[in-house]
Amino acid sequence: MSWIVRMIVVLPALAALAGLLARRQRTFAAGIAIGVSAYVVVIAFTQWVAPARAADIESIGPLSTGGLQVPLHLLSDRLSGLVALAVALVVVAIQVFTAWYLRDDPRYGQFAATVSLFASGMLLLVQASDLVLMLVGWEIMGWCSWLLIGHDSERPEARRAAYKAFIVTRVADIGMVVGLVALAVRAGSTDLISVLTADGHETALTVGLVGVIIGVAGKSGLIPFHDWLPDAMEGPTPASALIHAATMVAAGSYVIARLFTLYVGHDGARTLLAVLAAATMVYAALLAFAQTDLKRMLAYSTLSQIAIMLAALAAAPRDIGSAPAVSHLVGHAFFKSLLFLAAGWLSVLAGATALAALRGRLHGRGALRWSMGLGLAALAGVPPLIGFFTKDTVIDAALEGATGGGGARAWLVVVALFVTVVLTAAYCARTWLLLDTPLARPGTGTDSANDIDIDAEMPAHVRADATEVPETVVVAEEDVAVVTVADSADDAEVERVRAHGHAPITLAAALSVAVLAALTVVGTLLLTSLNGALHIGVLTALLSVLLIAGGAYAVWTLSDRGRHDVADRVPGHVRDAAVRGFGADTAYLGVGRAVTAVARLVVVLDRDVVDAYPRATAVVARGLGRAGERSHRGVPSLSLVGLLVGVVVIAVLGVTAWR
Amino acid sequence: MALTLMLLLPLLAAVALIAIPGESRAERGIALGASVLTALLAVVVVAGRHEIDVPWIRSLGIRWHFGVDGVSAALVLLTALLTVAVVVHTLAGRMPAGGTGSTFLGCILLVETGALATFLARDAILFFIAFEVVLVPMWVLIRSFGDDHVPDERRSDAAGRFVLFTVLGSTLMLVGILFLVHHQGTSDLTELARLHGDGISRSLETAIAGMLLLGLGIKVPLWPLHTWLPSAHTIAPTAGSVLLAAVLLKMGTYGIVRLVVATVPNGVATLSPVLAILGVIGILWGGLACLVERDLKRLIAYSSVAHMGFVVLALASGSDTGLQAALLGNIAHGIVAALLFFVVGDLKEQWGSADLRTARVGLRDTAPRFGVVLLVGLAAALGLPGLITFWGEFLALYAAWSPAPDRPATLMRVCVVLGAVGLALAAAYSLRVARLVWSGEASGGAAAVTARAEDAPAESGAVVDARGARWGVVLTLTVAVVVLGVLPQLLLGVSGPDAIRLISGAGVLP
Repeated sequence: MSWIVRMIVVLPALAALAGLLARRQRTFAAGIAIGVSAYVVVIAFTQWVAPARAADIESIGPLSTGGLQVPLHLLSDRLSGLVALAVALVVVAIQVFTAWYLRDDPRYGQFAATVSLFASGMLLLVQASDLVLMLVGWEIMGWCSWLLIGHDSERPEARRAAYKAFIVTRVADIGMVVGLVALAVRAGSTDLISVLTADGHETALTVGLVGVIIGVAGKSGLIPFHDWLPDAMEGPTPASALIHAATMVAAGSYVIARLFTLYVGHDGARTLLAVLAAATMVYAALLAFAQTDLKRMLAYSTLSQIAIMLAALAAAPRDIGSAPAVSHLVGHAFFKSLLFLAAGWLSVLAGATALAALRGRLHGRGALRWSMGLGLAALAGVPPLIGFFTKDTVIDAALEGATGGGGARAWLVVVALFVTVVLTAAYCARTWLLLDTPLARPGTGTDSANDIDIDAEMPAHVRADATEVPETVVVAEEDVAVVTVADSADDAEVERVRAHGHAPITLAAALSVAVLAALTVVGTLLLTSLNGALHIGVLTALLSVLLIAGGAYAVWTLSDRGRHDVADRVPGHVRDAAVRGFGADTAYLGVGRAVTAVARLVVVLDRDVVDAYPRATAVVARGLGRAGERSHRGVPSLSLVGLLVGVVVIAVLGVTAWR
Repeated sequence: MALTLMLLLPLLAAVALIAIPGESRAERGIALGASVLTALLAVVVVAGRHEIDVPWIRSLGIRWHFGVDGVSAALVLLTALLTVAVVVHTLAGRMPAGGTGSTFLGCILLVETGALATFLARDAILFFIAFEVVLVPMWVLIRSFGDDHVPDERRSDAAGRFVLFTVLGSTLMLVGILFLVHHQGTSDLTELARLHGDGISRSLETAIAGMLLLGLGIKVPLWPLHTWLPSAHTIAPTAGSVLLAAVLLKMGTYGIVRLVVATVPNGVATLSPVLAILGVIGILWGGLACLVERDLKRLIAYSSVAHMGFVVLALASGSDTGLQAALLGNIAHGIVAALLFFVVGDLKEQWGSADLRTARVGLRDTAPRFGVVLLVGLAAALGLPGLITFWGEFLALYAAWSPAPDRPATLMRVCVVLGAVGLALAAAYSLRVARLVWSGEASGGAAAVTARAEDAPAESGAVVDARGARWGVVLTLTVAVVVLGVLPQLLLGVSGPDAIRLISGAGVLP
């Protein structure tokens, strides 16, 4: 069975290579991407049914690295089976959807190949039984995210967002690399089992666990690394779906879940994780509520949801383990990819992603309306959708952690979770009301895909941002620090729609959305394979249903049954600041400027200090040469010769006499 | 036999080429034939682990003693194969101005001879002689055939710097070698490695190690002895830059392994804190300089300083993992730097300069082949896992975290954290280049680009894509970066056993 595990990792990588070579033949490239990802679903399903339960599957053989053991093994168990299946399902849906969504994009081939490579990176991380392989998968995803977010590299915003995403996550990866090195040193091996069973070396363990948390905070967008994720919406919508749903952003939860036995025994690291996760969860949910752009709203909701998974890992007691977090990872994968694909579908119909331009656009759209509705309901945690089960499993686990001696850390998580439940319900309700309530204006003709009257509907500040593309500063000088964000995140596809419309959705693409919608309803069944992945407390479930209903009802009344945007009730300046992420971008910019300043200093030092010695040597040598030349021009005077001879004689006499 | 032939063939070809007056068609055949044959012989020599040992200068006790082992095998292959690449690349395009083509090719082959002899030498004096052989031809490459867009003074400055720095280094190294040979009574490197510093007092070992490290450190280059590198790289023609980065720098690190780590281990242990600190400063210094550097070739030169910093850090750790990391990092940098210099050299040839401030059209649309290989090169430069550089750097950090027992552990751990910061800097500058060159910062969509390209191709930076033999060269290197990155064991397995023997003092050759 071990070949299945290898195939799960290798096939998408080969598909990426083949897709890159065949990028010009569009049909062929699409065939490879979709065919291989569909096949990976099949073999991932096989693994889910009957995992090999082994952690010593050879990959490329052990490395000769002297004292360090680097066996590079893969593993296969219930956990990897479940997550790999979820990843494979989401990837195939995205590939099918992309074939339609990017049908006018000249770079479709590269995009599909990058998605395949991205999937390969995530699946490698999932199947890895070795810290080094985990890091390989982790960084491959980071690199692919750079390519995907910067897919429309003609647009300065996309270039900037891609750069920001990679640099922010890479800075956090300083922690990841140091952490993994420390864990490997502790065990003398990079093998996961050895790392988990090693003991002693408390300092190395602390450094390792905290380092991994920092790395995870980067990719999963915990405060203070969260701001790259909303900007990453500049990528085409399928890329956002991929990054957010089951792969890069959620990968951190999987890594910590794999290392859970180490974290359980280390209170300090878990407290750090709990604080970061709790703060991010609530903060991101608040910001999601204020967003003016559908995709950015979804991005903030991702931050909040990922923090829920990490909070589960921070609070769950030892006997419950990492299952609740993984369960929410899978649930989130389904409903978030559904939401993104539906948002992409809606945005090419409407030619915009700004909520103001999308108002009422969902009304009367059958399948799309259902999909979006199911997605939002699952995100809010409405029973009996998958989001309800997974979120309540997390709440229950956190509560058991709190009552079972988890102390302040677990209680913090529990409180944050309940607050987030209310907020999530509120922003989901707001979004649904905005999208679904028909506008009062008669005869707007919103049903036509080619009807591009968005300018009339967009509020002034949105329109200004959409039209005034920031001047690109040419070049080099400020490119470590990047330009400010517009609050609308239309990708090139949406811009193209404004120019000449978009082909109506194909049956296959619509089906892929429908399959994801179905998975948000029945996907819960998949979770039964993992012990402890479904664990609902009756009281907590009841409480959270009440909170959801309360939150949604409050929004319903405050928005006058959806006729107004409830977020407009937030004071203007607060709202503007919230849309812009409360200046986090400026802070990043400041760090970037500081580093650039240091770099300039280094260049000056390099030129004027380090290089001064060789130059000085040259000057001195040249000067000596000139002096020598001058003094040798004529015959030395007799007195000079006499003086020199005298000095030598005296010296010789002195030395002899002294002896 | 094959070994002597391998050393003599490029030497004789070089002499013949330099002797040819003016232009002739024969030069191309001679250069290509000699480099290809040498590469084939190199494969034979490495595969068969050949060795030759005959008396040479009897009165000085110096022997004609060459041999290949796991530590040098990959470097020998790298040198021989890269020379083929350099020759092919040169013949496929315009010969650099500044002299006859035959002189240019002759100098390339002479550099190859010296480098091969350096990597194969099994005698300290022989090592020194071989080390010096590369100097003059390299000087000619930079001085005469350097970038003809800059004034003559800058060429002269760059070439002069290169020679003076390196000669100073070799002089120090020679003094160190003489001390070592005098005290150990042998100049045989195998014997010296077996003695492993026995019979020399620790303070003398430290002094010898200091001299040798200072001398070789100039070649590596170790911060703050690196200032010759950026100017030499900027001025040198593509062939020169490639040989400089991929072969000459490697002679420095190889020398440290073979001549210092193996023979005076206690001296290295004493100096290892200094070595580690200088390595880490090099990592950060190079990375920071790359963030604001405006000339693409200088930028890659500074990134070389950063990459070699990791190699030095690995060597400072003193463990067998560290040695493996250093050897792998050495090869990795050789391949990646060669790839980048080939691509950037071609681009500079078309752009007329390598100034990053000029807004140009992105390569990804106008020249997708250049785009792909540049992107892979940059990804490798930032240490992306799955590409060859990653393994050397990750293992270097591991080795520095768990150094040999006689190293200061806390200091080394601080160095690890700072080295990891260097990884983030590498990402920042690599992506900066990707953003400027691959995506293109020239504003306007593809339509504007095409329009402008028709008006003034040079200004908009639209380039003709790679093709023919030159495309073959960069593609081969790209494939090597990926394949060796996926299967690092191919390199680690070759050097593994000998690295462990070397570090433990069990001698190197069987």
